Amino acid sequence: MDTLVAQYSRPAYQQNEVFSEQEQQDLADGVPSLSLKFAMPPVAHPSAWLRAATDDRSNPTCPIKIAHGTTTLAFRFDHGIIVATDSRATAGNWIASQTVKKVIEINSDLLGTMAGGAADCQYWLAWLGMQCRLHELRHKRRISVAAASKILANLVYQYKGMGLSMGTMCAGVTEEEGAALYYIDSDGTRLQGNLFCVGSGQTFAYGVLDAEYRQDLTVEEALELGSRSILAATHRDAYSGGFINLYHVKKEGWVKHGFTDTNPVFWKTKLEKGEFSNVTSDFSGRA
Amino acid sequence: MSKGLWAPRQPPSAWCWNLAWQAGHARAFRLKLQVRVASGQPELPPKQASWTELAKSINNHHPIFPHAFNATMEVLLGITGKDFTLIAASKAAMRGVTILKASDDKTRQLNKHTLMAFNGEAGDTVQFAEYIQANAQLYSMRNDTDLSPSALANFVRGELASSLRSRKPYNVNLLLGGVDPITHKPSLYWLDYLAALAPVPYAAHGYAQYYCLSILDKHHHPDITLVQGMKLLNLCTDELKRRLPIDFKGMIVKAVTKDGIVDMEIDNDKVVKCA
Amino acid sequence: MSRRYDSRTTIFSPDGRLYQVEYALEAISHAGTAIGILAKDGIVLAAERKVTSKLLEQDTSAEKLYILNDNMICAVAGMTADANILINYARQAAQRYLLTYNEDIPCEQLVRRLCDLKQGYTQHGGLRPFGVSFIYAGWDPQRQFQLYLSNPSGNYGGWKATSSGANHASAQSLLKQDFKEDCTLKEACGTAVKVLSKTMDSTKLSSEKIEFATVGQTEDGKIYHKLWSAEEITALLKEHDLAKDETAEDK
Repeated sequence: MDTLVAQYSRPAYQQNEVFSEQEQQDLADGVPSLSLKFAMPPVAHPSAWLRAATDDRSNPTCPIKIAHGTTTLAFRFDHGIIVATDSRATAGNWIASQTVKKVIEINSDLLGTMAGGAADCQYWLAWLGMQCRLHELRHKRRISVAAASKILANLVYQYKGMGLSMGTMCAGVTEEEGAALYYIDSDGTRLQGNLFCVGSGQTFAYGVLDAEYRQDLTVEEALELGSRSILAATHRDAYSGGFINLYHVKKEGWVKHGFTDTNPVFWKTKLEKGEFSNVTSDFSGRA
Repeated sequence: MSKGLWAPRQPPSAWCWNLAWQAGHARAFRLKLQVRVASGQPELPPKQASWTELAKSINNHHPIFPHAFNATMEVLLGITGKDFTLIAASKAAMRGVTILKASDDKTRQLNKHTLMAFNGEAGDTVQFAEYIQANAQLYSMRNDTDLSPSALANFVRGELASSLRSRKPYNVNLLLGGVDPITHKPSLYWLDYLAALAPVPYAAHGYAQYYCLSILDKHHHPDITLVQGMKLLNLCTDELKRRLPIDFKGMIVKAVTKDGIVDMEIDNDKVVKCA
Repeated sequence: MSRRYDSRTTIFSPDGRLYQVEYALEAISHAGTAIGILAKDGIVLAAERKVTSKLLEQDTSAEKLYILNDNMICAVAGMTADANILINYARQAAQRYLLTYNEDIPCEQLVRRLCDLKQGYTQHGGLRPFGVSFIYAGWDPQRQFQLYLSNPSGNYGGWKATSSGANHASAQSLLKQDFKEDCTLKEACGTAVKVLSKTMDSTKLSSEKIEFATVGQTEDGKIYHKLWSAEEITALLKEHDLAKDETAEDK
């Protein structure tokens, strides 16, 4: 009884800290209702307006530059999953940051990667982390990668056509699935697979990765291949660069393998292995 | 698949979705547009009279990749080695949604030890290549010696540059491979339709650039043998078969050596699967 | 008789000659001698300077030897004013080739460009032919060191050693005697001054009376050409004991 009374006799500012029924519902549902979460711009076609305001590819003078451009990759092999990303954030042709963490540690054995709009990814992957934790508390066991990725896919599908821009991968090792890797993008695509590269540098990473990818890579080989693939993309894609963020996901959870500056890695690779033979002063002179 | 042809005639297909992920790249926008057309509701930005005008405005004003719309599904690859230059070109001749020919040779021999591969606007490509070929041969007849690959590359650049400033420029991208007749040094030149010229150890044109350059960055060395060169080329074509969303009908491969130009065998029937 | 045919450059005489061209050749044979010798590691050009005066500024009035291009020089025998036109034309042609191909023009091509121009004046109406012969020395990767001679008719030929101008007949026979196959550039320079000393009026030479130039290759394989300074010429003459005794002159 006392607790009941106490509840109703709290000062006003404290009452605000209690979640409303609607909010509790939102948190639990996994798919919050749109109207409460985001205010839409007061125009007839919000998505068209957003595009005009943000898409610097079709409209170079657009007022809002969205952080785009990335290279992220993840692949499955016998000893788990390798996840690797670059760390550059660009807005138009401006390098906004060289030290972005594009791997989101959803929990101790689930990782997400960010490509596309930085803000969208950060917000919704953090949100996904929350959903996963709630799932865990509710069901008293870790969420499967399939389920986690599905939550995110369903969410972004709700917002389809409204300007979200995300390309993410979810990687994890669970009891029921083993090593599992999913690709989710803001179009609503959700794919399970062995190997994905996402972002503006994806093709370059695919090039290196596909050429030497095998299921039976050793852990060392796999880490090297992941890191080398990101290096390839940072070398060729103007919108990728900075540091190589490397993770290995295994049964016991993920292990971080450094956040390494690409510049010394590039020169080491060039000078010690003789790769990148097009980078030479011999070719700078007259043709 | 080049400038001017790209707008509403392109096919709607699933691969557009995947590629549309290359945020920050103009080509993704192009692909996105195609998807819109497919859905029957083309979304034109306001004040845009037509697709062609939109295309022009993008082409002329794109801040980062003014030439990005010239990227093609036609594959051109070039690799130099110790004593050779390999030139490879895809065999598909494409117009819109149709492959008109599956054994097209997108190369022309300019003289005994220089070979040029080309892609770009239909019609322009062959016209320009054969114009250059004729001029190279005229020079050889007049002067009793062949122009060196380097001289030819610079000549081609000059022709392309003056064409670019004419009323109707040639819209052609080129790779020019050769072996110097005197020094026997192999060389490779990359030229785009804006008349940029670069001597390079390996090169690609079209979408192949995005897949193959990283492979070549890693696996190319200047002193490779012809056999190693072919292996490297296969590494590239395998990746293209794996990831390019269209069938480019295999490659024609030619090797330029000090003894002239020879056709190379390549296994075009090999099936490559995604990981 | 000849009156009727020699006033026009483009008209053959009944016995098949172009008199104006022959007169041009005659004019050249009054000009200072120029010789060129091809060595295995370079080429030497030497020429007799006709206009000498104490008042003449040595360095600024090259009369006979000109640089055409990075890979080519030439010696002039004949009317210097005509030569200037042709040299300007050759320099422009060489630069145009460089602009088009980003490569130096092959020697023979440059020679032929000039000769095509010269030939034009033996055929197309109303003008007089150029009164100059050239001796060209150059290098290109295809044919290495080369020596050419061209005359007002538009004819040209490649030589191992050649001469033009006054006394060129005797110079030519001297060269035939003294030329050694596979001689070095240094030896060729010696031969050049010796031949020149014999064809010129005075046996003792001085740097005022001759011009000298070489095309050669540095130790790291680069091609150079050099117009010699007065001091260098004097040193060469002294070495071959052909220098005028200057102390004697002063007395």
